Amino acid sequence: MLALTSTFLVPKRGSSLKEYEDASWVGPEINANGEVQQDTLRVAVADGASESLLAGHWARRLVRVFGTAKNATHAKRGFVAAYREAACGWDEEVSTYTAEREERGSPIQWYEEPGLAKGAYATIVAAEFSDSRQGQSPTWRAVGVGDSCIFQVRDESLYARFPIDDSAAFSYQPPLLASRGVEDAVLRRHIRLKANDWERGDSFYVTTDALAAWFLRIFESGGRPWEPLRDLDTRDADLSFEEWVDQQRDFGEMHDDDTTLVRIDMC
Amino acid sequence: MYSAEISRANPTSFVFLLDQSASMQDQIGSGEGRRKSDVVADALNRLLQELTIKCAKEEGVRDYFYVSVIGYGATVGPALGGSLAGRDLVALSEIATSPAKLETRSKKMPDGAGGLVDQEIKFPIWVNPVANGGTPMSNALTRAQSVVSGWLNDHPACFPPVVLNLTDGESTDGDPTNPAEALRQLASVDGPTLLFNLHVSSDAAPAISFPDSDVALPNQYARTLFNLSSTLPDHMRTYAQQQGCAVSDGTRGFVFNADMTSIVQFLDIGTRASDLR
Repeated sequence: MLALTSTFLVPKRGSSLKEYEDASWVGPEINANGEVQQDTLRVAVADGASESLLAGHWARRLVRVFGTAKNATHAKRGFVAAYREAACGWDEEVSTYTAEREERGSPIQWYEEPGLAKGAYATIVAAEFSDSRQGQSPTWRAVGVGDSCIFQVRDESLYARFPIDDSAAFSYQPPLLASRGVEDAVLRRHIRLKANDWERGDSFYVTTDALAAWFLRIFESGGRPWEPLRDLDTRDADLSFEEWVDQQRDFGEMHDDDTTLVRIDMC
Repeated sequence: MYSAEISRANPTSFVFLLDQSASMQDQIGSGEGRRKSDVVADALNRLLQELTIKCAKEEGVRDYFYVSVIGYGATVGPALGGSLAGRDLVALSEIATSPAKLETRSKKMPDGAGGLVDQEIKFPIWVNPVANGGTPMSNALTRAQSVVSGWLNDHPACFPPVVLNLTDGESTDGDPTNPAEALRQLASVDGPTLLFNLHVSSDAAPAISFPDSDVALPNQYARTLFNLSSTLPDHMRTYAQQQGCAVSDGTRGFVFNADMTSIVQFLDIGTRASDLR
């Protein structure tokens, strides 16, 4: 498989990159040009919930685990195992953070205590792309909890969307993975799975919710939302990702939120 | 309307009007034996605490809101205590770092085994109970107009300011209907200012949260405050419903002898942190 990957991100207005709480992962190995030449490619995008503390830490932890776990995208059992692996190190991460704050003379304040006790929350979508085997079409499998999304575009049409397929489904209350754990039975009810084929020439757009909602809304109104995204970072691009997102926010077309896009072009 | 995003780049204001009149010395009618002045001061401190925690991130509180607390009783004016005394409008991050006092209180918390256990929690105090003088509610609403119009002048595209009046409703400077109406007419491009009322009463009547009619309200003060209150915007009505309130198009931002801390959760600042169910 030869795939070209590009990652774009822009924080919420008024926030710095340090405060950005989305996270993304592309692997296992990509070169400096974003090219992947392996049998398998894994991608994960997570979106830390605004109303939780250390949400960016949790989102980064999730994509790291889901990006490296071998079976996370194959079945609910694999998802649950990857989630448990991410969550089991959370207390230690919080302790390290708390100690680091103490060390530099900025101890945890009263207004941070409830949030740290409650834990962090994030959505995630993760996908694994596999090369063709024994004459069969190459495939991708994906898992998700929440409203981070994958869109597959083939021959100028939207070939697949996952896990949300309707722009009206986005809200401030998506299903979220909690760093403090959740019962397996409850978690399993919210895990979404997807398997599909891919071909050379296909493009994938893996996004957090603000961009995903925009994408579906434009598509539902008869537009081709992949066009401006396809051109990003190319000679055809008029605007950088940051400028383009800023423009959409100005037009009221896109929510002002941390925004992440991983674009994958299958070559 | 009521769809503007609340962010640091586009913050909004939260104005609290706190009844500090002599009638607030009387006990609330719920049988708890607490003075109305204690109830409203406690409610306001809890509202500020909830708002602060909602906007807390690592190493600071984000200024999604600017807060004004106007007391009315013997005088009408800023009512925050401690180092914030005398201030008309304060960034939420300053509210967070400058409570007049930080008390430790005991709270029943789940012990993880189906029972409850006492746990010490920090309880910040920004205002203390005061009960003195008349109830110049009309004057307070006029003062709120001044704060809100100044805010809207600088933030014309903000989510509309929210004004929350905590009172026993016994206005002594005339009918508050007209100043309340004038306040509700002040608008950003996203909609008119929201005026909500928390009524503490000495009447021993059942607590009522977010009613859609004044029929069940026990006295004229409650009915007046209900009629001064804005109807809840759609998304707030949905949140009220999620919290177990029966709602309709006429549901208003009004509670009678009930907790109104939930109003903080009616405000969207981004993805909410909640467990899977």
